[in-house]
Amino acid sequence: MANPCKSRVFAPLFGSFPSRNFFSHYFSTISIKKVTRNNFTSSFEELRHHVREADFVALDLEMSGITSAPWRESFEFDHSTIRYLKIKDSAEKFAVVQFGVCPFRYDNSTKTLIAYPFYIFPRKELPIDFPSCEFLCQTTSIEFLARHQFDFNACIHEGISYLSRAQEAEALHQLGLADVDHLPYSECNPKETREMPLVSFGDILFTERMKIKLSEWRDSLLRNQNCDYHFEENSSNCKLQFRTDFFKMRPSLLLSGFSSHQLRLIQQVIRKHFDDLAFIRINDENSLSQNRIVYTDWKDDRAKLMEEVRKDMQKVTKSKVDAAVGFRHVIDLLSSEGKVIVGHNCLLDIAHVHSKFLGPLPSTLAEFASSIHKLLPYIIDTKRLLISELAIQRLMKKTGTSLSSAFSFLCSQMVSSSDTSSSNSRPFFKVEVLTDEESSSNQSNPGAKHEAGYDAFMTGCVFAQICHLLGIDFSIYKGSDVVEHEKLQKHLNLLYLGWNSGTMVDMKTGQEIAHSTVTNLKKRYPKIQFSNIVLVWGFQKKFKPWEMKDIVTKVLGISSVTSVFYLDETAAFVQFSKEQYVQDFLVLKDTVERESGPLSVLHPLGKLLEGGNTRAAKYDIYKEICSSPLSRVLFADQTEAMGIKWKTKVEIQKLEQADVGEGGSDRKNEVVAEKKILRDGKPHMEGSEDCLSSESILDVLYSSGSLIFKKVRT
Amino acid sequence: MTHKWQRCFFSSSSKQWRIKQITKSNFSRILPQVKERIHGADFICVSSQKTGTFSAPWRRILPIDTPETAYCKSRDAAERFELLHFTVCPITFQGTKVIAYPYNFHLFPRDELNIGMPSYSFSCQTSYLTSMAQEGFDFNTCIYNGISYLSRVQESASKHQNGNCIPTTIPLTSSKPSFADAIFLEGTKSRVKHWRDACKDSSGSSDGALMKSLRKHILGSEVYGTRPCINIDVCTDNQVPLVAKMLNDVADDLVPLIIPHKNGTAKGIRVVLASSQEDRNLLMEEIQTLEEEQNKHFRGFREVIDAMSASCKPIVAYNCLTESAFIHSKFLAHLPSTMAEFMCSLRLVFPCILDVNHLMKSVRPLRKANNLHSALSYIKRQFFAPVEMETPYEVSEDIDVTHGHDVLRIAYVFAKLCSILKIFPSTGQLPIGYRSMMDFENAFYPCCVSIQEPLDAEPTIQIDKNKSKQVSTEDLIFLWGYENGISPDRLRKLLCDVHDAFHGGFQVRIIDDGCAVVGFEKSGSAERFLKDVESGEVESGALLDLIVGGLRVAGYNAYERVCKLGVWEGKLPNSLERALLGEPVASTAKTGMSEEHKSESMMLELSDL
Repeated sequence: MANPCKSRVFAPLFGSFPSRNFFSHYFSTISIKKVTRNNFTSSFEELRHHVREADFVALDLEMSGITSAPWRESFEFDHSTIRYLKIKDSAEKFAVVQFGVCPFRYDNSTKTLIAYPFYIFPRKELPIDFPSCEFLCQTTSIEFLARHQFDFNACIHEGISYLSRAQEAEALHQLGLADVDHLPYSECNPKETREMPLVSFGDILFTERMKIKLSEWRDSLLRNQNCDYHFEENSSNCKLQFRTDFFKMRPSLLLSGFSSHQLRLIQQVIRKHFDDLAFIRINDENSLSQNRIVYTDWKDDRAKLMEEVRKDMQKVTKSKVDAAVGFRHVIDLLSSEGKVIVGHNCLLDIAHVHSKFLGPLPSTLAEFASSIHKLLPYIIDTKRLLISELAIQRLMKKTGTSLSSAFSFLCSQMVSSSDTSSSNSRPFFKVEVLTDEESSSNQSNPGAKHEAGYDAFMTGCVFAQICHLLGIDFSIYKGSDVVEHEKLQKHLNLLYLGWNSGTMVDMKTGQEIAHSTVTNLKKRYPKIQFSNIVLVWGFQKKFKPWEMKDIVTKVLGISSVTSVFYLDETAAFVQFSKEQYVQDFLVLKDTVERESGPLSVLHPLGKLLEGGNTRAAKYDIYKEICSSPLSRVLFADQTEAMGIKWKTKVEIQKLEQADVGEGGSDRKNEVVAEKKILRDGKPHMEGSEDCLSSESILDVLYSSGSLIFKKVRT
Repeated sequence: MTHKWQRCFFSSSSKQWRIKQITKSNFSRILPQVKERIHGADFICVSSQKTGTFSAPWRRILPIDTPETAYCKSRDAAERFELLHFTVCPITFQGTKVIAYPYNFHLFPRDELNIGMPSYSFSCQTSYLTSMAQEGFDFNTCIYNGISYLSRVQESASKHQNGNCIPTTIPLTSSKPSFADAIFLEGTKSRVKHWRDACKDSSGSSDGALMKSLRKHILGSEVYGTRPCINIDVCTDNQVPLVAKMLNDVADDLVPLIIPHKNGTAKGIRVVLASSQEDRNLLMEEIQTLEEEQNKHFRGFREVIDAMSASCKPIVAYNCLTESAFIHSKFLAHLPSTMAEFMCSLRLVFPCILDVNHLMKSVRPLRKANNLHSALSYIKRQFFAPVEMETPYEVSEDIDVTHGHDVLRIAYVFAKLCSILKIFPSTGQLPIGYRSMMDFENAFYPCCVSIQEPLDAEPTIQIDKNKSKQVSTEDLIFLWGYENGISPDRLRKLLCDVHDAFHGGFQVRIIDDGCAVVGFEKSGSAERFLKDVESGEVESGALLDLIVGGLRVAGYNAYERVCKLGVWEGKLPNSLERALLGEPVASTAKTGMSEEHKSESMMLELSDL
């Protein structure tokens, strides 16, 4: 999996390989077959064949962006609910521009391997508006793709379109309805179609002429089967406009060159004067519409004709929708084949698969997991393997777990086909490649990193190598049975929630699992207690980061604040050492805010509250904000756009606070603290505001004194 | 690649017009030439290619929009989408001949300075990109080689972030220094004096290396370029001018430079010692050029916009409101919340803007032309307007014929319209029978509110006398939740008898999937109907059935609220529902404007729908 954030965090470490050869390989280059809509059909058939044969399939996606705002990036302070919300937001807003599929097969005799990077683009193929008709691009991600020679023209000009399953159903529904409604005009209820008054002289003339023409044509049909001759002759002046042929075994007139107004007049004529003629409009496969007048013998025949026409239309619609489904056929294929899917840190990729090809992302992680599990029952994350398998850990020492570093470390032998003699372990996975002359010759970036196809290939190679190191022998397993191996079994369907998180999700059960064997993830922060966290935002920009802790400790005591974490320049998390401080802080802030006298200026919090837009609330509010579909760059702007008006959100103390710790948003108990605040039972808030003010004034004097001192000193 | 419209366009114009293509690589080379052309031009035509225009059909500017709602829609689009091409075409009139120099700039909001600007992310409208692709748009060139830019506001913000030294302009304050400041100043003064003396002194003497480094260490002296300098920390911003003044008093060979902090405030002052008065001037010049270099780097493409602004030439554009909202948002500043503020802000930069749409609406037969192409072909058929346009470029590698043609169409239509409307195409003495272009300037279709007069003076939606009746915004209601896919005629029939408000005559227009606008001809009917539906005092069974079936109604104020608050949902009914949910209108301090707006009724024309 490739994305700018990750690669920045884990810089690839090349050149630190151990001297011993673990395996050897005959390996030259990988062929990457670029798939666009021009060669999709043929490539898909090829891919279908390869996937059927494959032992596992590696996936990688390139997206138009990762985070829609800086504060939506993945932080170590994030609750797992937040992590899912962030992933959901990313998958909903950004587009997948490239989808790399690389089927791997273990084979002793013929070794074949092709990576398929599919360029995909959500083109509008059907006359229906889906909400996906707009997507977001993150400037840095686009630049990142550009740096790796991503071909945007190929993507937008030639990208394969797709419909999710939900969209397909919707499209069939809508188009189906549309056909019945208005396509065969004459089907409409005559009462509905309003009589068109013939106002202009031209209309009257035209109507009359049509009446004569049509009755002539019908009469000629009735008189003698060989009608063409008569008609053509009679209407030499409008030969271009009528053509007699047969439609569904019935004689018919093909109308061409008429304006829509004239067509409507013709319909009206038919409705009024000809019981045995039917007007039909058909859209064929190329979405060209044909207008016909068909002669029907009697009324039942006409109904039969209409039925036939409708069936035809449905068929056409169906094939159109089927064509529009496009790339999703690949996903359906992967799903129906039930192969093992391998990705590298792939939760975001999987979320994209869900939102683009299945349907809208559900609101909770558990629902998402169960939905995905039905689609792709076997998912293995190579990142998980790299981090948690101690054998691999020991081997890789301090090499990063990014895809490229893992690949260059584990699979270096594949790339630099070294001699076979020095190896004491048998060649494990020989990769030979089906070369595609045409595509490999005119590639601008053959086998380049951050090309989805190549990344998928690297992921697959890393997986194969890890399996080898763990002693898993592919030859004794068939297809996806390999996951039954006990060493893989325990990693199956476990995905990380973001790269810097210790939490994983089990896609099978939807359960979150805390990672126990995190060895290389630094714990920069003390243990995070979500109930101890206050989110403060909207303070002025000149407010300096280090001031926050100073100010809060001045008010609540020196040991009250555990840590301060800045979301961006307008927002910060403050973690207190005790849950009690959360309430204290919010109440105090609210009190100072309400104060209009000198206290509000002199109070240490005054600095924080400068500008009058400083807001604060418990951690729960972050969930609410993250689940908003809006995305402003600055956090403070975001909350403003969401219409948050209150300054401080204080929770009324309940008897024994319920499950605040878990952070379940028990909204009923929350009251916007504009008016109702209980000031009871606070340790140093006892008594009246006098107590508070004298204490604060002392604080202020102290702080201003120190300031003067500082100035004098300089 | 062959493009349909191009072929027919060329065949009609019979000549191949050439357009200079400008990317990152040739930008600085061609910029002086562009500036020169801009200054020599009579008019400057502009057009742009964006990543999208509107996110949902109802978010286009519709005839039901008042200037205010139209502005809200344009603002949303300008903030959401990004510019990929910006074409500037200075034109000059020579009798019936028009000389045009089109320059097509490829843009991409690349974060050149690594400061998260000009744009963190932007939206793309898929259908729009697809149609651009069909016309042969080259996305790779834009993204790989597009010129970046910063808006004026971003530039001033980023200067601080970048941590570069900017020479202080020494704003001398009259405010007396406080006690603390006085102490601080005294201390600093003696320190600077001491340092200066030491520098002057040591320049002559020949100390050992150890002595030199020791002295340097004790004095805190550093080197700025080849000159010695010293850094002074300041506590507050207001100490900066005080220090500057103090330095001025000490000696005239000291140049103070601000060391900015990351958040824009001053961290300290760097005092550079010049060896003489001449050296001081030299230093100032050096800094000046350094700053200019840096500014150029910061502004990027905005240089062109600034040149256009500085030239004060009339700007000609099509769909002016959207176009100028884009220009304002990308190159000037964030878009203000009201139309009036926007127009004021815009006029400061571009005093004269001519909207081709507005000119077209002044020619009666062209009223119905809804794009440039149809307007052009209509003019060709119906009018005698002998205008010839040429692009006198030599063939070179910068020249292309595929990208940025819109601007030439605008220029061509504009020239033809000038001829038809007898607009005198330059300033100076107006010949008899000609009209001044002042008559048309700064009026944006569809909200032909001239920015010269205050917005609230009069509702000035252009009125066509022989067409359908005008409807006041007060007499408009929005209907949704009726049977889906119903035709306007059937809806009309359905509504006819449900309430006596409909007896006075009304018009129905479908404006979005499942949402219709009803314009009552009799004033007061809308209010009556809304009130009755709201209170549930419904007599007719038919209406009751409709309401039970899910029919919802809202007045025009709900729509205004939707636009004002930016409740942009995919479908208008969803937006209206959310607006009706009673999210109170944002407590804007600037609502004095919108209050007046409510009382006044805008006249709209539904027939254009």
